[in-house]
Amino acid sequence: MERITIDPVTRLEGHGKIEIFLDPDGEVANAYFQIPELRGFERFCVGRPVEEMPTLTNRICGVCPEAHHMASAKAADAVYHVDPPRAAKLLRELLYSAFYVTDHTTHFYALGGPDFIVGPDAPPAERNILGVLAKVGMEVGGQVIRARKQGHNVIEMIGGRKIHPATAVPGGMTHGITEEQRAEIEKIGRWSIEFAQFSLGIFDKVVLGNDAYKEMILSDGYTHRTYYMGLVDQNNQTNFYDGRISIVSPDGERVGTYAPAEYRDWIAEHVEPWTYLKFPYLKKVGWKGFVDGADSGVYCATPLSRLNVAEGMATPLAQAAYERFYDTLAPTPESGGKRLVHHRLATHWARLIELLYAAERMVELATDPEITSPNIRTVPTEKPTEGVGTVEAPRGTLTHHYWTDERGVLTAVNLLVGTTNNYAPMALSIKKAAQSLIHKGVVVHQGLLNRVEMAFRLYDPCFGCATHSFPGEMPLQVAIRKSDGEVLEILSQNC
Amino acid sequence: MADQIASRTSSDGVSSGSPRPRTIVVGLGNPVLGDDGVGWRVADEVELRLSDAREAGREIPAVVVERLGVGGLQLMEFLTGYEEAILVDAVDFPGRPLGEVRVCSLDELDPYAAGHLDSAHDASLRTALALGHRLGARLPDRIQTVTVQAIRTDEFSEDLSPEIEAAVPAAATAVFELILG
Repeated sequence: MERITIDPVTRLEGHGKIEIFLDPDGEVANAYFQIPELRGFERFCVGRPVEEMPTLTNRICGVCPEAHHMASAKAADAVYHVDPPRAAKLLRELLYSAFYVTDHTTHFYALGGPDFIVGPDAPPAERNILGVLAKVGMEVGGQVIRARKQGHNVIEMIGGRKIHPATAVPGGMTHGITEEQRAEIEKIGRWSIEFAQFSLGIFDKVVLGNDAYKEMILSDGYTHRTYYMGLVDQNNQTNFYDGRISIVSPDGERVGTYAPAEYRDWIAEHVEPWTYLKFPYLKKVGWKGFVDGADSGVYCATPLSRLNVAEGMATPLAQAAYERFYDTLAPTPESGGKRLVHHRLATHWARLIELLYAAERMVELATDPEITSPNIRTVPTEKPTEGVGTVEAPRGTLTHHYWTDERGVLTAVNLLVGTTNNYAPMALSIKKAAQSLIHKGVVVHQGLLNRVEMAFRLYDPCFGCATHSFPGEMPLQVAIRKSDGEVLEILSQNC
Repeated sequence: MADQIASRTSSDGVSSGSPRPRTIVVGLGNPVLGDDGVGWRVADEVELRLSDAREAGREIPAVVVERLGVGGLQLMEFLTGYEEAILVDAVDFPGRPLGEVRVCSLDELDPYAAGHLDSAHDASLRTALALGHRLGARLPDRIQTVTVQAIRTDEFSEDLSPEIEAAVPAAATAVFELILG
């Protein structure tokens, strides 16, 4: 068996390494994604007071500290058996919506966008935000920076700090917002709605208006029929901050919804000998290997998954965009009755619909009469025990689970981070893209390899939670080896 | 466009009414990830030395000292408005001795060994700086880096390895000399 190694992967944090194994005929036999994992987090946390966790866990990763802060605060609420006042929940969700606007904006323009807007075959040096702006206009760069700046300002207003918020505590929030701040946030939210619509317009024109890209989105190489996971509210509509976790089968059947605290009844983890990462799967379906279909417990937790599990979006403009998404890509319901999009590259489109939802939700929350209420904390009085907190991180369902002694000192910690949910689907996507693009006799060129990378980049994977390294401007090196390890050829970019 | 990029305020450690500092020192890294926290530790040491020097009556230029765990666009946004920047970070140059302190400009830094200058969810710092320049942002004319060769960056801990701990004073001295010009 021959082996192709892509190491490290461009624009991914951490030493992600793709291994593509070829059979003797030069066809792709298997593809694996190897990721080093950080160690010792539980040991690091045990013995600390649980109320430290919302500020400690947002140091796990520089990419989504807001998600860890919120999941942790919710888990700490549960540990103390306390339900925060409504105004505190509104403030948390408002901060979180602003975070989504900044995060999804950055992904589309700096990461996902280059693949489509600049093109999968463009030289690597052009596949970045500057390449995107060269196509759509440099003035858009100012809008991207403005979206990020305003989002960070909202995070600072509510969370106390621009990057690592610190105000969510067990039972609520440490401080609220003034009327002046509320008005400013409302203004930012309204601007963000326009920006999200503008971004969807770019996607419409540049991606959907290009037959070759549309064909790529719909191609079998980027399509998987897996289970889907995501948080939904009481109306089965997408919610990032709170709700029940919903699971939908590849055939469009709602398998069930469960409370975050029940996650261990639904999720189990598979171990492979070639990596120390664990691959979560649906316990009730079972692990059948790296395969899709209704018999395989592999599930996906992404923007696309969140739309697939929902009956719709809770805000009007996002709902209209949702309808158009399904009318375009999945006009016919699955046998289970639900319309599903299985085309993984459509995740980029789904992410922009979520951007619009987050912006609309900002305005809804900022105009709620209770948002400036001073009643933002219920002081915990009960004996702390155990608690689970879940939010939708931009890159997947994020769960924190804490156990404490009677003093509130941590005795055990378990985290199921967003990207981890998608380890198995990413392996599937890499394999399938490779199978459709690498055949005996075909020269492995850079555009082709980038298409393989596109297969997992759409998941917006973050290994900051699970790994860390010194990537700098990452080179891409591809070693093609025989099964005995002998290097046949080395290709590289950015080296 | 420049006004759309984040600018620093007096809340960043500069008293209201003081002249705006021209220089920013940024300790990069994750303070709970072993040797990855060395940038922050050096920033602490630099801050202490600045304070001691001022108390001793030395004339020290006004400097902002930040501790960040970000790269790319966000780091570029933090650098906006300054004339000079000094970035302190852990690095992994192949074959170099642990704890080695090196000083060079950002342009001279081997891009493949740099610490937090790139991100999975961002542009690289070089791309971000190019974007900032094209948008008319006031970005530092000179960006220097002070790097510490590190190893244990994959395990949660607030402690540095002994070799890295021992390198903190030398790295702080290097930063201090850059500040004094």
